[in-house]
Amino acid sequence: MKPRKIKRLLIANRGEIALRIIRSARVMGIETVAVYSAADAAAAHVAAADDARPIGAAEPAASYLNIAAILEAAHAAGADAIHPGYGFLSERPEFARAVEQRGIIFIGPPAEVMAALGDKVAARHIAISAGVPVVPGSDAGDLEAARQFAASAGYPILVKAAAGGGGRGMRVVGEAAGLATALEAAAREAQAAFGDGRIFLEKYLARPRHVEVQLLGDQHGTVVALGDRDCSIQRRHQKLIEEAPAPGLEPVLRERMAAAALTLARAAGYRGAGTAEFLVDGDNFYFLEVNARLQVEHPVTELIFGCDLVVEQLRIAMGERVAEPPAARGCAIECRINAEDPAQDFRPATGRVIKLALPAGPGVRVDTQLEAGAEVAPYYDSLIAKLICHGGGREQARARMAAALGEFMLLGVRNTAAFVREIIASEPFARADLSTRFIEEHFPRWSPADRDLHDALIAAALAANGMLGGAAAADGGTNRGASAADGAAAHSPWTTLGEFELWGRR
Amino acid sequence: MKLKRAGDAREFEVEIVAREGAALRLRIDGEEIAAELEAAADGGATLRIGGRHVRIYGMRTRNAIFVAAGPAAWEFVAVEGRAGRARGGLAAAEVAAPMPGKLLRILVAEGDAVAAGQPLLVLEAMKMETTLYAEGAAVVKSIRAAAGAMVDHGAVLIEFSRAPADPSARESDPPGA
Repeated sequence: MKPRKIKRLLIANRGEIALRIIRSARVMGIETVAVYSAADAAAAHVAAADDARPIGAAEPAASYLNIAAILEAAHAAGADAIHPGYGFLSERPEFARAVEQRGIIFIGPPAEVMAALGDKVAARHIAISAGVPVVPGSDAGDLEAARQFAASAGYPILVKAAAGGGGRGMRVVGEAAGLATALEAAAREAQAAFGDGRIFLEKYLARPRHVEVQLLGDQHGTVVALGDRDCSIQRRHQKLIEEAPAPGLEPVLRERMAAAALTLARAAGYRGAGTAEFLVDGDNFYFLEVNARLQVEHPVTELIFGCDLVVEQLRIAMGERVAEPPAARGCAIECRINAEDPAQDFRPATGRVIKLALPAGPGVRVDTQLEAGAEVAPYYDSLIAKLICHGGGREQARARMAAALGEFMLLGVRNTAAFVREIIASEPFARADLSTRFIEEHFPRWSPADRDLHDALIAAALAANGMLGGAAAADGGTNRGASAADGAAAHSPWTTLGEFELWGRR
Repeated sequence: MKLKRAGDAREFEVEIVAREGAALRLRIDGEEIAAELEAAADGGATLRIGGRHVRIYGMRTRNAIFVAAGPAAWEFVAVEGRAGRARGGLAAAEVAAPMPGKLLRILVAEGDAVAAGQPLLVLEAMKMETTLYAEGAAVVKSIRAAAGAMVDHGAVLIEFSRAPADPSARESDPPGA
């Protein structure tokens, strides 16, 4: 493959990751093109890019998943490369293929590698033939084969979607009686979510850790590993808190896992940035899947290695060679802040950012698209900010994170900052008692402390009486997510924000 | 004044009893509380209470009162005095969308009698499914939206009429409240 220079990069994504990619491209002297849906015309990533193109209506299917519209935008803007970010089209082989067919560089692995690894059943086979341990399991989704597997492996077992991700199509089956129903439900959910109803079975591990290895592969066949991350703290299979390196692993286990990840990546012909995910159970580790893209939690690796993974991705795409990484330094922790109300069973929250304060200080990084006036709309993922803290050791990183979360303030959109702060401050997190059951073991049915509720009630009463934040504001009743019916384009956040300032505080 | 959290039935009675300079006296659900309040340049204030201090921000809009207290963000609604009476003994006279989103499924039909905690509707927003439950026993009078439709925050989705007398039915909070 010939080295090709990238001059103009289109980012086929939105939110914090689009902003983050724009920043790295800019320091490399690469021009950036943002794309945006009707709901995102005033979004931060649009303002940050050198050029921006509308690609369709607010619903993801009409815009950020609309391959034709994105390719057209790339052509019109003269982009010579496309970065898919994470989510959306980032792991769709048909997108990677369509991009390359247009003579545009796709920032990611080749389509066929992505296709092989994206199918969990196929990826499992690659792992098995590369000698990488996998969770005992069975491909077969039919009831009889499932019964046989479950009888030999023992209950509970896990039913998963072959095309799955994010916990969708996943079911734990505790006993034989529930097997048939679970198989049907998982297949139906997988069909609805991924258009592919194939399922497979795995032995359910009682208290595993989720540990993953960051990989970088170049076009010349070299693959290197940039340490590991622990992402065990999850709620409903969604990661909440991640850290690097994974604490308390035996050095031998860590090395074996990194070696397994490299073997796998080489066997698959991997190129670009990717992640091999494992479950760790005692002294054993089992391959889960390869994520053929940049991951949400990539900043913790960047902080301990002092690198920029987006820059690495772009260099790899331009034909440069990857080098063995330097020794990692210290520890880094990331907390995801989601627009969900932890006081109401994590129900999605939408609205407009009235006021925002972001933490700062040594070792503190914030990746977010939030700004005053920004709209959190119902169409997209609820991730609105990532706080990442680096320290000389885990305890310093943790202390910095606790302080940083204390500084975080977002008025107008309910979010999970207070919840993750309690986790960070908790004793089990402090001693790194990590497992994927962490939340259900230590924070089941979380609700805010009465003290915090009282503080909030006092603030509400003061605000209602004009004693806080100035006089009562009239906002025309529109401080809500962009109205679904009238479409967000005709409904620029700035119009209604203007009312806040006009009637609100002088 | 009576306040409740948006999307939650529980009501709180909060009164500002007195404010003199920084000194503040309040009553929450009958319990008297003393605090100090210092305004900050950015529109927020520092609340000193029980030996602690927390930075607070607030904004009242027509429909809601938004609050940030430390890293916690809240949305309250002021409860009108007579709303409870006007519902004719129903736990809730209607079900409104707690957030904008897509109405995925409707699990009841007009004329159905529903019990407290029974699932009524499934909404999808931010790639997550949220099930809405009946707050109390009632009869579904009308369904005001169709499956597959995008609905706005606050849109009324189901209207109830009173359930026939049923001694086993009781008013209760929906699961997860």
